[in-house]
Amino acid sequence: MLNINNLHVKLEDEDRVILNGLTLDVKPGEVHAIMGPNGSGKSTLSYVLAGREGYEVTDGSVTFNGENLLEMSPDQRAAKGVFLAFQYPIEIPGVVTMQFLKVALNAQRKVRGEKELSVPDFMRLVKDRAAKLNVSQDMLKRPVNVGFSGGEKKRAEILQMAVLEPSLCILDETDSGLDIDALRVVADGVNALRSPDRAMVVITHYQRLLDYIVPDKVHVLSAGRIVKTGGKELALELEANGYADIVENAA
Amino acid sequence: MNAVIPKTATEEALGLSLPHRRMEEWKWTDLRRMLKVPYAPQIVGADQKTIERMIKRSPFAHVKAKRVVFVNGVLDAAHSEITNGAESTLPSLMDNEDIARIGAVSGGKGLNLQLDGNVDQTIEIIHVVTEAAPRLVGVHHRISVAAGATATLLETFIGEGDYLSTAIVEVTLGDGARFDRVKVECESGKATHLSHAAVVLGANAVLRDYTFTSGAAINRQNGTYRFAGQNADARISGAFVLSDKQHADTRLVIDHAVPHCTSRELFKIVLDDHARGIFQGKVIVRPDAQKTDGKQSCNALLLTETAEFDAKPELEIYADDVVCGHGATAGELNHDHMFYLKSRGIPEAEAKAMLVSAFVGESFDSIENEAIREALLQFSATRLKGKT
Repeated sequence: MLNINNLHVKLEDEDRVILNGLTLDVKPGEVHAIMGPNGSGKSTLSYVLAGREGYEVTDGSVTFNGENLLEMSPDQRAAKGVFLAFQYPIEIPGVVTMQFLKVALNAQRKVRGEKELSVPDFMRLVKDRAAKLNVSQDMLKRPVNVGFSGGEKKRAEILQMAVLEPSLCILDETDSGLDIDALRVVADGVNALRSPDRAMVVITHYQRLLDYIVPDKVHVLSAGRIVKTGGKELALELEANGYADIVENAA
Repeated sequence: MNAVIPKTATEEALGLSLPHRRMEEWKWTDLRRMLKVPYAPQIVGADQKTIERMIKRSPFAHVKAKRVVFVNGVLDAAHSEITNGAESTLPSLMDNEDIARIGAVSGGKGLNLQLDGNVDQTIEIIHVVTEAAPRLVGVHHRISVAAGATATLLETFIGEGDYLSTAIVEVTLGDGARFDRVKVECESGKATHLSHAAVVLGANAVLRDYTFTSGAAINRQNGTYRFAGQNADARISGAFVLSDKQHADTRLVIDHAVPHCTSRELFKIVLDDHARGIFQGKVIVRPDAQKTDGKQSCNALLLTETAEFDAKPELEIYADDVVCGHGATAGELNHDHMFYLKSRGIPEAEAKAMLVSAFVGESFDSIENEAIREALLQFSATRLKGKT
């Protein structure tokens, strides 16, 4: 599904190389965790996959279901099924959450040649998904993320994911800023979306999230490359020993 | 000794000198240079079909209101529900005002409304200018809202062709009166719109004043608001949605002549292409006007590098126990907002329209009548679609 091959990325405005030969294959149904110390390139990877400006790919390739992902605009990627749950969800004053979800969903459906959802069908869908994530009707009526607490923002991200039903979910530090109860709600929401046709890339600094969202594979990212890959037990090992050993051995 | 400056074609036609850039208030809107067409005053008629077609363009067509229609500066009794405005006893607030001076040349009259008793009503004045030879068309309304009365006035300007339109509105609010005014300027794209609204607020009066500016090639709106009684409250807000080479300049003067009054100004300005938006806001706090609370804010969104925004806040404060502030911002669309919307599958153009709409939408918050606010939101969305 997602094939990243020898990806080299630098910042557009400066000569700093952030991803330095990253290779990763993700198949449908799999959940991959990407762990690594601060500054290893985790967030850059998520932004490059989602199509954010400001990065320059100097080498390598990214294909998604066989198509060149890097040539697509962010909205085209979304319509193809790529979704990034942001580490810091952005507040957008004046754009009501409900309206935003409706426009986004229908824009994606249009590109895929599907009919727009009727208003009642859309309302039913959102209400159903929102209830499961403890997202109140009041939050849906407020502007996107404006005045939401840290936990509310993360739940709202997962709600968007649940409504848009992407085939590749990239979760960037979804656990940051969450207490244990909020973490459980978010993880339940993510787990409910696990399916044989859907893949997930879970980016996290801490092992804690992976107790709830159990990965098939764990990768350690350091200095822009994957330096070690293992099963879910690798996360526990990292938790016990820290990144230092692995990063030093790789260097 | 006065140097003799030759009159321009427009000045010849109007028989007066136009404001020009060496006058501080007019430095960004040099009418002498900007107006080139001889706009002599002229009354022309129009056929029923044209009038009816143009009336329908009002954003408030579906809002419940008493309608009054002015066609080419003349009251059109056939389409109006109010035709016999009471004779005004208001003294004119407009002596020596530049725009009123130009408007006087038009000979145009207006409504003289005295709203009193337990009126709680909405009146819409639709000003229609039909396609004809370039000319000056003007109106001059006088409205007084009696003590304790409540009224809403919608002013709509719709036109076709090349003309100079002047609109003078004088409003007096009695003690405890509440007045909501919403003006929409969607004149012809070739037209020049000059207006002056002057409002005097009595004690405990409440004013909600909103202006949506989007049609004319050149727009200059003056607003003077004077607090004459204590504890009055005025919110003056508006939006510009401009593109091509449109030019709009709003100049407000808020005169806190007495203590304990509150004023709020909020303007949202969207500029595309080579458009130019100007906001000049003056707040005067007289020596006795203690406990004045005045805030002014003006935000511009520049969609291109060729658009231009100028702001001139002026605070003249002669009292020492007051809270006054002003802020002006200018910027482009927020890239992070754009990326967030696009990352959810919303295409560039639609994402941009959503953000611009949201930006303009903040200015509508002071409009409490839901039907009016909705109508304006719809209208604004249509204008934005046409312009961005």
